[in-house]
Amino acid sequence: MGHPVDLFSALSSEGAWTVAELTRRARAVVEAGLPALWVKGEVSGFKAYGSGHWYFTLRDKVAQLRCVMWSRENQRLPAPPADGMQVFAFGTPTVWEERGEFRLTVRQLLSTEAGGLWQVAFEKAKAALLRDGLLDPARKRPLPSFPRRLAVVTSPDGAALRDIVAIMARRWPRVEILLIPTRVQGDGADREVCAALALLGRIPRLDLAIVGRGGGSKEDLWTFNSERVARAVAAAPVPVISAVGHETDVTLCDLVADLRAPTPSAAAEAATPDRVELLALLDRLGGALARALVAPTRHAGERLERAGDRLALDMTRTLERGGARLAAAGARLDALSPLKVLARGYAVARDAEGRVLRRIVQFPPGLPFRLQVRDGEVAARVGDG
Amino acid sequence: MAAETGGFAQDLERLEQIVRRLEAEELDLDEALRLFEEGVERLRTARERLSAAEVRVRQVLADQAGKLRLEDLDR
Repeated sequence: MGHPVDLFSALSSEGAWTVAELTRRARAVVEAGLPALWVKGEVSGFKAYGSGHWYFTLRDKVAQLRCVMWSRENQRLPAPPADGMQVFAFGTPTVWEERGEFRLTVRQLLSTEAGGLWQVAFEKAKAALLRDGLLDPARKRPLPSFPRRLAVVTSPDGAALRDIVAIMARRWPRVEILLIPTRVQGDGADREVCAALALLGRIPRLDLAIVGRGGGSKEDLWTFNSERVARAVAAAPVPVISAVGHETDVTLCDLVADLRAPTPSAAAEAATPDRVELLALLDRLGGALARALVAPTRHAGERLERAGDRLALDMTRTLERGGARLAAAGARLDALSPLKVLARGYAVARDAEGRVLRRIVQFPPGLPFRLQVRDGEVAARVGDG
Repeated sequence: MAAETGGFAQDLERLEQIVRRLEAEELDLDEALRLFEEGVERLRTARERLSAAEVRVRQVLADQAGKLRLEDLDR
């Protein structure tokens, strides 16, 4: 002994580690000894950087754990966690060598609150839409009764398009269906759906649009819970029917749309009248038309009949009047008949030649003449006076 | 709100109007017959419109310049 420890030689030889060496070794030990695992804790000091990466601390009553969640991982989440939120984090423990910091690289994050982060994000976006009046029922526009041109914003490969086309072909084949193809799930699908919705205003003579997709997981349907998509639906220049997933899935897109259909098939039915029903309606109208014509025809017939009756009456009256006049004329004629005069007791005197004798001078004494009375003639002679 | 003008919607609307007038108003026979004939004609074209059509599906594609074109969709 007796020699002081040569610290410098220890540092400069294999006897002492460099910081870099130690932290690298620590990292290797931690990563080898602790596989990916779930950790439960309370979020604090959350910070999202411009790069999109999230930094926060998980803590409980006795300890803290630094966490990072890279943007490519956190993009799949609907919303960042809030400070104070209880979460489950899945990730790999590691050592960040630059800072010598023990931390968790988080790959998945679940909130223990009802509905989790999805619900948190949903409520947040819904509140924003509500604040801007986009959920006002008065905004909802009526759908056209007989659409000629309809846009469908959905995936070209999905069941939604197939169902919509099949139903419209049966119900209302007069419609022209314009597919605006877009991805409906996955990273960036919300932007694609927004871009597709933005085309609606550029399609001439468009009557309405259906936006949606078939059923899927909550994550699959998340595109339609994006506030961005909801706002694009609200801004559409034509009425929009939203049809996302199944009966039970209600999305922000549904809340903003002019009509929410529980499924794409239901959307197709809501968008179109039924040809069969319309044919039945036409039959009824045809019947009503025929029946409606009966009245004016009968009316005209009755008028005709009444006119005929009047004519007959007129004729009868004319005839009756004529008859009366005739009778009157006949009566007058009758009255003038000499026979009538004779019947009243008068007699007519005639000479041998049949001339009527009217004056005294025509009756010299002794003149034989004839007297015509009612029932014949008698011979007579003028007396001597 | 009807999307069609001069199409099925108009036929239907006119038809209903004609039936209403025939039912409600005292029309002279000439006017009634004229309306009836028009109604029959509207009925015929409306039926034809419903039976003749076949649904058409196209997709809207935007080129690089943002210009839209319609392309028939193979089904």
